Amino acid sequence: MKMHGPPTRHGKDFSAVEIKGLGKTYYSGFWKTPHVGLRSLDLNVQKGEIFGFIGPNGAGKTTTIKCMLALHRPTAGQVFLLGKNARDPDSRRKVGFLPERPFFYQHLTASEFLDFYARLFAIPRNQRVRLCGELLEKVDLAHVADVPLGRFSKGMLQRAGVAQALINEPELVILDEPMSGLDPLGRMLVRDIILEQRELGRTVFFSSHILSDVQSICDRVGLIVAGELKAMGRIDTLIDRQIKHVDCTIDVPSGFAFKGEVVARQGHEHLLRVPPEKVEELLTKVMSSGGRVIQVQPARMTLEQVLVEELGKTGKGATRGSTGSDAAHREQTRT
Amino acid sequence: MNRIWAIAMNTYREAIRDRVLFSLLFFGAVVLVASLVVREITIGDQEKVVRGVAQGAISLFSSIIAMFLGIGLVRKELERKTIFTIASKPISRWMFLLGKYLGLLFTLAVNILLMLALYVLLMLLDQGLPHSDLLAFTVLLFVELMLLTAWATLFSTYSGPTTATAFTLSVFVIGHLADDIWLFGQQADHEWIRKLSEILYWLLPNFEIFNVQPQTVHELPIALGYVLSATGYGLGYTAAVLALAVFIFQKRDFA
Ligand SMILES: Nc1ncnc2c1ncn2[C@@H]1O[C@H](COP(=O)(O)OP(=O)(O)OP(=O)(O)O)[C@@H](O)[C@H]1O
Ligand SMILES: [Mg+2]
Repeated sequence: MKMHGPPTRHGKDFSAVEIKGLGKTYYSGFWKTPHVGLRSLDLNVQKGEIFGFIGPNGAGKTTTIKCMLALHRPTAGQVFLLGKNARDPDSRRKVGFLPERPFFYQHLTASEFLDFYARLFAIPRNQRVRLCGELLEKVDLAHVADVPLGRFSKGMLQRAGVAQALINEPELVILDEPMSGLDPLGRMLVRDIILEQRELGRTVFFSSHILSDVQSICDRVGLIVAGELKAMGRIDTLIDRQIKHVDCTIDVPSGFAFKGEVVARQGHEHLLRVPPEKVEELLTKVMSSGGRVIQVQPARMTLEQVLVEELGKTGKGATRGSTGSDAAHREQTRT
Repeated sequence: MNRIWAIAMNTYREAIRDRVLFSLLFFGAVVLVASLVVREITIGDQEKVVRGVAQGAISLFSSIIAMFLGIGLVRKELERKTIFTIASKPISRWMFLLGKYLGLLFTLAVNILLMLALYVLLMLLDQGLPHSDLLAFTVLLFVELMLLTAWATLFSTYSGPTTATAFTLSVFVIGHLADDIWLFGQQADHEWIRKLSEILYWLLPNFEIFNVQPQTVHELPIALGYVLSATGYGLGYTAAVLALAVFIFQKRDFA
């Protein structure tokens, strides 16, 4: 189509997603006051990885995703999907996308709907039929294949949306809050689908509020607050850095003394809460005094606690993302 | 090409499953049938009057349907955010717009043909097979609607539903008054008013070019050359408006 398209990354070792200095400023209102949605974002997602994109409401997750898919024109920076510049529609040939709160054509039945999206990828007829059937089965909508989407519930629409995102057997799947609006069963379904994509060697990039889901399935996460990437890394390193204390259950004779917080006591059994660096000292002392070590459990922070802490640090997130951190906090106290 | 076609067919399917379109079409049919009644309340050349009213009804109702569909064409995709799932496929924006537009034209063609079939049927009942140049009437009506919906598409790519409706209606009205703008200018005392009206006349569409009812009602022949040049004018103008629509659409964010 175009004689000289946007530049393409050559060579085999391109990342699944490469975001360089991405910025987006919105101009709104009569005076067109600028409002920064994204501030020079750098991000790399390797092939075969499940990447979780987290952050409070209004942090810029959806904005980033829209820029990735050229639904928004970035005001700065570049995005490469599977090595191709995102400005080139061809970069989306092997990309699947589920928008946030998806709305679909009410007039189509579930199978017509999938067939339509398959056509947009110019998938030949016989493959279309097979793929549509398989996917409806996978998201548990086969029994309503001939029902118009106008009569679907929110969760059913979300499932249809997930199926649509997989119609082209994508190498990169981008999902904006895929778990929202789903019942526990649906969440498990989506989680399994995401994990299955990794089995197939595909890359998944998804944003979410449900941190326990992110924690259990992502290889790496990125935390975005107020348009800036605040933390990024493997889940375990992100969380490990933050081990606060270690709970040690020990059985020691009376007269044993150690500086530490005694959380519980039952006969000779003590539950001691000590800082990580004191663990070794405690254990050697227990052994030498003829005691018994019953259990050693590092109390790791959950991703949620990391997030809340990070938000507290930046302060800025608390202003714009107050609703987000409040929600996170509430959820935390509930569990 | 297949992908543009998929979008076109989806647009068509959505239109024909829309109740509003159905009601408009039904209402148009009622008015068409009612035009037979005119015979009873007129004196003089009753057959001519019946033809005039019926052709006017076809032209008016297909224009209303065209504007209704044209304004919603891109607007609805933006409002319902269905555009997200389409624009995120390997589809260029011009492909999307062209697909939508073709689907619209297809819907309009079916509508016109339906009304035309009803017209022929009514004429058979009322006065026998129409002699006049119905083909020219149909072709030119269709070209007029192409131009009208191109404008509607242009407006609906960037403005809200109310503004798009107002703008499209204005184009519709002004397009039918274009000759009057010209005449008004020619009669003015000031040179600059004359110049302004001439510029406006050449800038704005002139829908009266496509109106051959004076001939078809009186069963006069229509020169092929006239049909061709009017069609050429309409298609060229349409292409220009659509190109502008693509240009604007290419730049916008989908919020
Ligand atoms: N079209 C727009 N016009 C103006 N500002 C916008 C637009 N879209 C987003 N923003 C602003 O950009 C910021 C980031 O929004 P974004 O939708 O990316 O947040 P998010 O991280 O997806 O939040 P959520 O968790 O609520 O989905 C917000 O402050 C928002 O107000
Ligand atoms: Mg969002």
